[in-house]
Amino acid sequence: MIRRYGVVFALLALCLVAALFVPGFLALGNLTTILLHVSVNAILALGMTFVIVTGGIDLSVGSLVGFAGVLTAAALTSTGTLDAVGVGGATLLALLVGTGTGAAVGAANGALTAYGRIAPFVVTLATMTIARGAARLVTGGVPIGFPAEGDPAFAQKSAALDALHAIGGGRIPVPGLERGFPMPALIMLALVAAGAFVLTRTRFGRYVYAIGGNEEAARLSGVPVQGVKLGAYAISGGCAGLAAILLVGQLKSGGPDAGLLYELNAIAAAVIGGASLLGGVGTAWGALVGALLIGVLNNGLDLLGVQSFWQEIAKGAIILFAVTFDVWTKRGGGDHHA
Amino acid sequence: MQTDRKRRREKQVAGVHCRVSLLALSAVTKRYPGVTALDAVDFTVEAGVVHAVVGENGAGKSTLLKLVAGAERPDAGEIRWDGAPVTFASPRDALRRGITVIYQELALVPNLGADANIFLGMERAHGGVLQADAMRAAAAKALGELGLFIDPAQPVARLSVAQRQLVELARALVRDARLVALDEPTATLTAHEVAHLATQIDRLTTKGIAVVFVSHRLDEVRRLASRITVLRDGRRVWTGATIEVDEAALIRHMVGRDVAYQRHPAGRAPHSAPVLEVQGLTRSPAFYDVSFSLRPGEIVGMAGLVGAGRSEVARALAGIEPWAAGAVSLSGTPYRPRSPREAIDRGLAYLPEDRQRDGLVLRFTVRENVTLPVLRRFAARGQIRREDEIRGARAAATAVDLRPAPPDIERPTVQLSGGNQQKVVVAKWLLTDARIIVFDEPTRGVDVGAKVDLHRQIRSLADLGKAVLLISSELPELLALADRVLVMRAGRVAGELAGEALSAERVMALAVEAQ
Repeated sequence: MIRRYGVVFALLALCLVAALFVPGFLALGNLTTILLHVSVNAILALGMTFVIVTGGIDLSVGSLVGFAGVLTAAALTSTGTLDAVGVGGATLLALLVGTGTGAAVGAANGALTAYGRIAPFVVTLATMTIARGAARLVTGGVPIGFPAEGDPAFAQKSAALDALHAIGGGRIPVPGLERGFPMPALIMLALVAAGAFVLTRTRFGRYVYAIGGNEEAARLSGVPVQGVKLGAYAISGGCAGLAAILLVGQLKSGGPDAGLLYELNAIAAAVIGGASLLGGVGTAWGALVGALLIGVLNNGLDLLGVQSFWQEIAKGAIILFAVTFDVWTKRGGGDHHA
Repeated sequence: MQTDRKRRREKQVAGVHCRVSLLALSAVTKRYPGVTALDAVDFTVEAGVVHAVVGENGAGKSTLLKLVAGAERPDAGEIRWDGAPVTFASPRDALRRGITVIYQELALVPNLGADANIFLGMERAHGGVLQADAMRAAAAKALGELGLFIDPAQPVARLSVAQRQLVELARALVRDARLVALDEPTATLTAHEVAHLATQIDRLTTKGIAVVFVSHRLDEVRRLASRITVLRDGRRVWTGATIEVDEAALIRHMVGRDVAYQRHPAGRAPHSAPVLEVQGLTRSPAFYDVSFSLRPGEIVGMAGLVGAGRSEVARALAGIEPWAAGAVSLSGTPYRPRSPREAIDRGLAYLPEDRQRDGLVLRFTVRENVTLPVLRRFAARGQIRREDEIRGARAAATAVDLRPAPPDIERPTVQLSGGNQQKVVVAKWLLTDARIIVFDEPTRGVDVGAKVDLHRQIRSLADLGKAVLLISSELPELLALADRVLVMRAGRVAGELAGEALSAERVMALAVEAQ
């Protein structure tokens, strides 16, 4: 019980402490802000969980947020596409380019890991570097997005950016919520629910756990190990692409340095949420809870005016605590097993 | 330290003359869950003498070696070292007292040189800085004494198995070992390498070092050892001088007379055509020119020593590893699976030897394990239909008598006993509706009750018309279940026995190279 819901209890306890000691924490507006702020990390952590459960790791997602982001912004604001397909078409194209880029690079990670039998740490370390370099190459180092004053296509480009902003920065009106419910948070919740469904209710999800639990037994049972691994990395990359779209929409620009070190936050959230780097263990909702725990901590310390340096230290301490707790409960529970 | 060593040497030399036991195990017993690996075994080794330990697979040889090495402690009985009772706290403790055990899977760090390996854990250093040159010279000298002239700095990964063995022996020499135990040292050596090793073992004994030699190869045992102990089912059945015993007598001791299981009636005459035909299957160096056939409703046993290539043949047929030459046909059409998936789809199920490593996802529940190979059947457009899955898993678990009844299919398999785990593996493959089922050591480490259940299930699978290939190192099990038995030796089918000709002695004789 404690083991299964330990992180949830930790999150509730942290919220309770914050509610008692942090003025303004419990305001609905603040709570929705937390959801908005964690949405990108939670989506990355969700994809990361698929990979971690297979026993792998994906270091490339942060750079992928940058790379997929600049391509999204480029597709969205290219004069050629806007002229050809209009604002609606360009927005749709941008969505496809963003998720497609992410999923494609993720699939490449998976192929190199599964078929090339290269350690995932090395593969994704390489693609992390390549994707960041490519993002800077494509943009020349400056963000793509808001048109310059006097751009002949200024109105069109602004309209396209506004269209994507409806997704990345939009608010859904909710009675009682002054500023509405943030669109990215809604997308995050939908994705986590979909991820949970895939992991627990589908054949693919079962295979993901089987591979992480015992790859050899899975292979001997006829599980298509390589294909499933490829799929897990593609999902992680696809999540990075979606996160990139939300960021571009939110900021109305795609910067080459966007998503720097996001992979580490995603790994932290997945691990805090109960995923084991040894594979076989982890849940979609856990990834969300892990991301929320980090988000609530940051938000509370922000509201208290604590230096961001302290926030980093606190986050590190929580990771250590989560992993120690995990090892400790496992040792306690493992004694009476054969 | 130096004088201590010298004193030890003197005592050692004295030991050679008056034949005092260097190591004496008296009435040692070692139990593991569900099995008594050693039952009140006596075993003594004298300085300067080669004492061989022989027995079938599972007779307790490895356990005995583990006790000597300090890797395990006996549940009962006493160990005396150099005349005084001892308890080895750890392998390091045994090592410190002068006992070196050389296992079949050599304990060398492949990327380090012979010198670094020889001095591993006892490096010579000045204030933490390694004296590399001194160690290299000492390593070269020790290796030279054993007739191995190599650059001690090159990684041992580049050495042959025989050379690596000598590196381990050199390690024992550098450590001033007084007892060296070798586990199946000749299993993977060529005849020439065996001869060289034999010379080196002789040389060790002239230095007063005691040698324990565990082997299946009776001819080598008789050539090298002056004393032999035979173990069977965890008991010591015979100890004596090599000159007192011939090979046939040794085999009789190893096999024993009692057959523990009731022989199942073999009254089914399989008239139908073979469902699997294997012709000249070869993959050097694992197996060569293996041919046999399986008919529906028939249990064919596969006997042989560990390393004879039985599992390798089975794994090749199961699509896990390829084969280089030969032809297989399944139900009359050519069969060459490139993956386990393909083998399963063609109707061949393989139940691996090491169920914890290969057979089960231990974290998974019984249900999740049982349905893994056939999840497709319980899913519609990728989504698992939970009710169907539960129904299927429950039926399979009930069919294999998973205890306690009714079976709890939501229990993680890690919590089950060895016997129940094996039943889960069987249940898993029952669901695949395979026509050919290959069991690899299905009852190893399983308690007696579960063993009886499993035997009944194997029999009833054959009665249902499945073709069963049963690999087992337990002769009574093969004799009780199999309609005929293929005996493998060194990667080849050494013979096939059936009917009157099928006896434990005949199987053992074919398996251990007794001509």
